[in-house]
Amino acid sequence: MKPFIMKTADTRGSFSPSLIIGIVATAALFCVPSFVQSPYALHMMILLFLSTIVGESWNIIGGYTGQYSVGHAAYYGAGAYGTLILLHKWDIPPWYGMWAGIAAALVLSLIIGSICFRLRGPYFVLASIAVAEIVRITVLNTPGLTNGAEGILLSDLPPLTIGGTVITDFVSKVPFYYISLVLAIFTIVVTWLLQNSKLGYYFQAIREDQDAAHSLGISLKLYKNIALAISAVLTSLAGSFYAIYIKFIDPTTVLALDLSVQIVLIAIIGGIGTIYGPMIGAMVLVPLSEALRSNVIAQGLINSGLVREDSGPGIFLKEHLAHAHVLIYGILVVVVILFMPDGVLGFVKKLTKKRG
Amino acid sequence: MTFSVFVQALISGILVGGVYALIGIGLTIIFGVMRVINFAHGDLMMVGMYLTYFLFTLAGIDPFLSVIITIPLMFIFGGILQKVFINRIIGTLPQNQILLTIGLGLIMSNTAMLAFTSDYKILTTTYSSSSVNILGISVSQPLAVSFLITAGITALLYWFFMKTDTGQAIRATAQDREAAQLMGINVKRMSIISFGLGASLAGTAGALISPTYYIFPQVGSAFTLKAFVITVLGGMGSILGATLGGVIIGVVESVGAVTISSDWKDVLVFSIFLLVLLIKPAGLMGKSRM
Repeated sequence: MKPFIMKTADTRGSFSPSLIIGIVATAALFCVPSFVQSPYALHMMILLFLSTIVGESWNIIGGYTGQYSVGHAAYYGAGAYGTLILLHKWDIPPWYGMWAGIAAALVLSLIIGSICFRLRGPYFVLASIAVAEIVRITVLNTPGLTNGAEGILLSDLPPLTIGGTVITDFVSKVPFYYISLVLAIFTIVVTWLLQNSKLGYYFQAIREDQDAAHSLGISLKLYKNIALAISAVLTSLAGSFYAIYIKFIDPTTVLALDLSVQIVLIAIIGGIGTIYGPMIGAMVLVPLSEALRSNVIAQGLINSGLVREDSGPGIFLKEHLAHAHVLIYGILVVVVILFMPDGVLGFVKKLTKKRG
Repeated sequence: MTFSVFVQALISGILVGGVYALIGIGLTIIFGVMRVINFAHGDLMMVGMYLTYFLFTLAGIDPFLSVIITIPLMFIFGGILQKVFINRIIGTLPQNQILLTIGLGLIMSNTAMLAFTSDYKILTTTYSSSSVNILGISVSQPLAVSFLITAGITALLYWFFMKTDTGQAIRATAQDREAAQLMGINVKRMSIISFGLGASLAGTAGALISPTYYIFPQVGSAFTLKAFVITVLGGMGSILGATLGGVIIGVVESVGAVTISSDWKDVLVFSIFLLVLLIKPAGLMGKSRM
């Protein structure tokens, strides 16, 4: 028997302090571009927001409803491809195209839900992977629409009008910073509203014990599908944003199994079924994998004198460490599962409780 | 399409299916004994492929002969993985088991990338592209040899599970872990042996397929998926089912490639997988464990 944990009780209790922290943090984040000009720092923040969005989105179906989808790349890809195909083929601005991405993700989630939610546990995981792979192969093999393996490269972006201001300068990272920040806040607010709503309680009841929830009259099929649809729409928003921001997509970057796994890991490493979990997961994973990717770690080892730059290992690390940034995901997930089954957040909570 | 092309596709499908069966049997043993779905299975196969590659390029050992070295090495590797990692999470949430093996797989594939770069390596033997002609149908020689080895190993496994004490103890553990423990069976040891067996079968499959396949660090994930399809199709936990599943998937792929298109063969395989999950989730030879 799984222990029954009422997670909702303590989140309600800590409602006001966390809201204040949230508002202060949000205000601070909105001011960041006025002080920080470095495009690289802004880029890192954007990646952080993007990871938070996908982590929180997955958390709705995986963390709150307990359905471990390992096929979220399908929705991410639906958003990315929906947006860029419309722009590339018919010159429809991405600000409208992303709605097509959302629609595509929604339809896809309903199809996937109707197939996969008949299955439970590991079988559901396997089915979600299979469907996502079918989507990837289909995109790969319909080059007429999707450019196939070549991917879609976006040359320039049409201007965006919000209220009265027209934004045309997309070389700067500032507009993207604000868009991704707003999207991340939106996702968090949706999750927060869900967590404290009747719908959210249904989701959590399904997670704790499907059969018990069913016997109380909660339609498993309906509520699992609703959770997946919300999760899919939010994930597709992240995909659309990624496509517009990076300006290049192909099946290996937005539809691969690796991406699905990374999305899950963001939530798992932080701590699932909580609002802060995916944020913490993103804060742990993005800097770490970016440090590996940009060779900061290899350079650091050389600078600290541990490894000589011209020696064999030095050259080796400089050349290859950057390619292995996913290694950190693997090591972290093993450590987290073995030693912190409630994620980093749960681990920290346990430590502080012990001390207090 | 002529009849002979079809027969040729059918035969090469069956031959490849033999190797697939090995991958599937490995996964099904691990699942049967531990109830853990091993997401690192393809990566274990990748390790086997690199082992074979380096045994061939550095020591000049023939890939098919190198199986004798690969099997014990992979057995030890798998046993260590089980002892250090998997034994700790038996009986916990299935999600955690899945994630742990995903993590182990990521570590394996990325370590391989770190060590050997992501370049494709090709193991070329003198017979890599040679074929034998049987009744007007040409059969790839490395595939035929690997099929024979596969058949030998499967027969050996059957003997091991049916006739030896350890084999019977493993089957007892698979049937009922607690009852087996009460009967004095060291279930942790059986788990280590089973994971070792699973790993060595995956490694052997890697060795057998390496003369006809590209070797690269990410090769595992495609085979992990294939291994799932095979075991679910045959019935999770059933060795006979995995053998059957392997051959069916091999044939579907190879006949699908010539009748439809090789680009879409994986879609075909995954569709069959979904259909089986929906219509007969217990698989062809398995009992329902849902």
